[in-house]
Amino acid sequence: MKHRIYFLIIGLVFGLTSCIEIIDDVTIHNDGSGTYKYTVNLSASKVKINSILALDSLDGKKVPSKEDIENDFLDVIESLKKKSGITNVDYSMDFSDYIFKLQCDFKSIEYLQDAIKAIVKEQSKEKDSEEYNYNWISWDGNKLMRSIPELDIKQTKSMKQEDIDLLKTGNYTSITRFDRPVDRFENAKALMSKNKMAVMIKTDPYSLTQDYNLLENTIYLTPQK
Amino acid sequence: MRFYLSLIALTTVLNGFAQQSELLIPKDAVTVFSLNNIQLLQKVSLDDLVSYEFMAEVQQELFDGSTSGKTLKDSGLDFDQRLNVFYGKGDQYEISGFTFGMKDKEQLFTVFDDFEKSKSPYEGVELYTSFFNNLLIKGNQGLLIRVEPTMEKIDEITDSIWYARGFEDPWMELYYPEDDYEGEFDGEMEEEMYQETFDTEDQGNYFPPDQEDPLKKNYFELRDSVNTIYQQRYFSFVCDELFKDGYNLMKHDLRFTEHIKHTSEGIFYLDNSRSVQKAQNLWYLQTMFPTLYNDVKELYTGNVILGDLFLKDNAVEFKVEARYGQELGSIYEKMNNSKFDKDVLKYIHKDNSAFFSYNVNLREAYEQAYKVIVPILENERNVQVSYNLLMLELINEYVNKDALFDTYKGSMFGTFNGIRKIKTKKIIFEYDEETFDYIEREVEAEEDMPIFTLGFSTERGDIPEKILKHLSRLTSRFKNMGDYWVYEEAVLDAASLYMIHKNGLFIFTNDEDLAMNHSDGYGADALKGSLAKKAKKSGFMYGHIDWSRTIDHFPRDFFNEEENEMLDAMRGKTGNMELTSSKTTKESTKFNLVYNFNGEYENSGKYLLDLVNSVYVISK
Repeated sequence: MKHRIYFLIIGLVFGLTSCIEIIDDVTIHNDGSGTYKYTVNLSASKVKINSILALDSLDGKKVPSKEDIENDFLDVIESLKKKSGITNVDYSMDFSDYIFKLQCDFKSIEYLQDAIKAIVKEQSKEKDSEEYNYNWISWDGNKLMRSIPELDIKQTKSMKQEDIDLLKTGNYTSITRFDRPVDRFENAKALMSKNKMAVMIKTDPYSLTQDYNLLENTIYLTPQK
Repeated sequence: MRFYLSLIALTTVLNGFAQQSELLIPKDAVTVFSLNNIQLLQKVSLDDLVSYEFMAEVQQELFDGSTSGKTLKDSGLDFDQRLNVFYGKGDQYEISGFTFGMKDKEQLFTVFDDFEKSKSPYEGVELYTSFFNNLLIKGNQGLLIRVEPTMEKIDEITDSIWYARGFEDPWMELYYPEDDYEGEFDGEMEEEMYQETFDTEDQGNYFPPDQEDPLKKNYFELRDSVNTIYQQRYFSFVCDELFKDGYNLMKHDLRFTEHIKHTSEGIFYLDNSRSVQKAQNLWYLQTMFPTLYNDVKELYTGNVILGDLFLKDNAVEFKVEARYGQELGSIYEKMNNSKFDKDVLKYIHKDNSAFFSYNVNLREAYEQAYKVIVPILENERNVQVSYNLLMLELINEYVNKDALFDTYKGSMFGTFNGIRKIKTKKIIFEYDEETFDYIEREVEAEEDMPIFTLGFSTERGDIPEKILKHLSRLTSRFKNMGDYWVYEEAVLDAASLYMIHKNGLFIFTNDEDLAMNHSDGYGADALKGSLAKKAKKSGFMYGHIDWSRTIDHFPRDFFNEEENEMLDAMRGKTGNMELTSSKTTKESTKFNLVYNFNGEYENSGKYLLDLVNSVYVISK
């Protein structure tokens, strides 16, 4: 169950470790359609990022230019726009504060899942992997099951301590919204909004790399009237 | 008495022969590191040794497990002889390798276990070869050498054979094997195609297209053949010179012969005149303007850098002498004919982490360079050179040199004052507990920023002031604050850059405290005492680094793994590094770099190799 789906954009955009904030926000309507929003906020590390971007290479690897980052991001956007069941693709790139946003509507969870899998496959070196068969989200009209990607733990093992510390100071927020109230959920770390229409789980990127089950949740909704 | 004299003579002769590994250094070596006190290296593991970049060219068969768990002591080397690492690149081929003394041949071949004995064409010389390298043993000296034709040479020969056989551009076939592209290729397109071809993840599995006739070579097979033939040819050429003619670097360059007699732990030799000749920009000059090229080459004749490395109990000293020819020397001499600007000291804090000062007289250097270079250009009968010479002479006549060189005289200084927290802004997301909807909000934040100051002496500070005045009309981020100017968010889009024009200096800094509170200098907190005296008395350059204050602040991200390892070795140790220079004469300038430290290094041999490697990487 290896997935790097949520971290695709970060990987594409930087491949650098910085004080990072990620918001992954899914709205699911009763008919299964919905909206997916993904936000990466690196504004707390903009001095570090600017100083790295000023270099040609870092630790023997080429540092991408802003143009490279923009092109990679646009490639993902263009690819997403072409996927069936995906509409209203929107995005923003703020290179002064380093905030990147992506948003799209989907016809059903399956379409969203297929689209993301296809993009990961396009961007990945591994063209055939069992990972692409894994379903990370499912919806039956009353119950939503979400699991989350596994960051490559080996990668964090080779990270420098200060980079690990930066990951620890970051935030990963996962929000799931519905048209009707939530009855209950299984992840003890999750919080319910006061209007009972949304569930949130907050953690830090480092903890996620160590335990990808942290955001796994099954959410049961109240019966549809 | 005769007996004693004979004994002395015999000892001298034996010692002379005992130190002969340097006689096997080919004359084509442009850079040589010769380690004298290699007793120090006995503790160095062979695995560590072969991981250095200066060993990279010759390490393939050393790095195959035969070295595992062994130290140099187990390698059969003679520690009474020098270990000489060399590198050189000429127009036709490049050489790399090392020469050494040998004590135990059997032990030696437990390390060089991939070498097979070949028939040697040289009397008294044993030849062993492996896939990449060659090992030649003469008496108790060894030469491990690799000779490679340059890429340019291989391209030139392969292309000429390929086209002579009537074939088309091989790259066209490679990129568009089935297309009939009829357009013209420009440089950008070619670069793009090259990237597409070689930057793919499958490059390791790439095979060039076969010829229809399997007996005919395709372009890449032909290239391989050319490479092999020329490799053999140049290897023979280098070895013939060494073993048949007895001609080596010692005979080729008497400066090296003299220098290698030094008893320092290590010596360094870089023939800059040959190093300059291989520079790419001079290749253009050589092709387009051969006469001018010869004149420029003449200008660099005699340009050599000679260095000595001394390892002391609590210090490492690196003495370097840069020698040059009369004409280039005359420019350097004028350039360095400058007095230290005492006002600089006012802006160096007594607790700074590192600083440097650099005193040059650009005006005199310009005038002298003009005198030397213009006659060279006048000799060239070429439209483009004549046009450039005309422009140069017109500029020389029309430009107000007084204003130009009074604005920037050439003397400057810089300081590093450690890392400080600076105020920046960041965006946070605030969540509404009712719905978990979120909004963005800008809040104050802090980030680490290295604090630098850079200033230069000026007698016409009014000119940069004019520029700043106009810039402030263009953007509100430029502001005149009275004692200083500020350019907001100029450094990494976050920190302000301050500009101070006082005391005949124009200073750029991101140090808010210096600009706001010390624009006239640090007063009683400015640098004084012995350090200030040393800076004043040094030649054209002085530098000082306090490791205990600086090393921990070096951003790890900006260094590779090996460099970080070296920095880590220095972390936690107190000490300082000082660079001084002599007065520049027409013949030479001397530099002295001393690293004083408290505490001992566990393995001084490894430290010596670290230093050698650093110098190699910088000089290559």
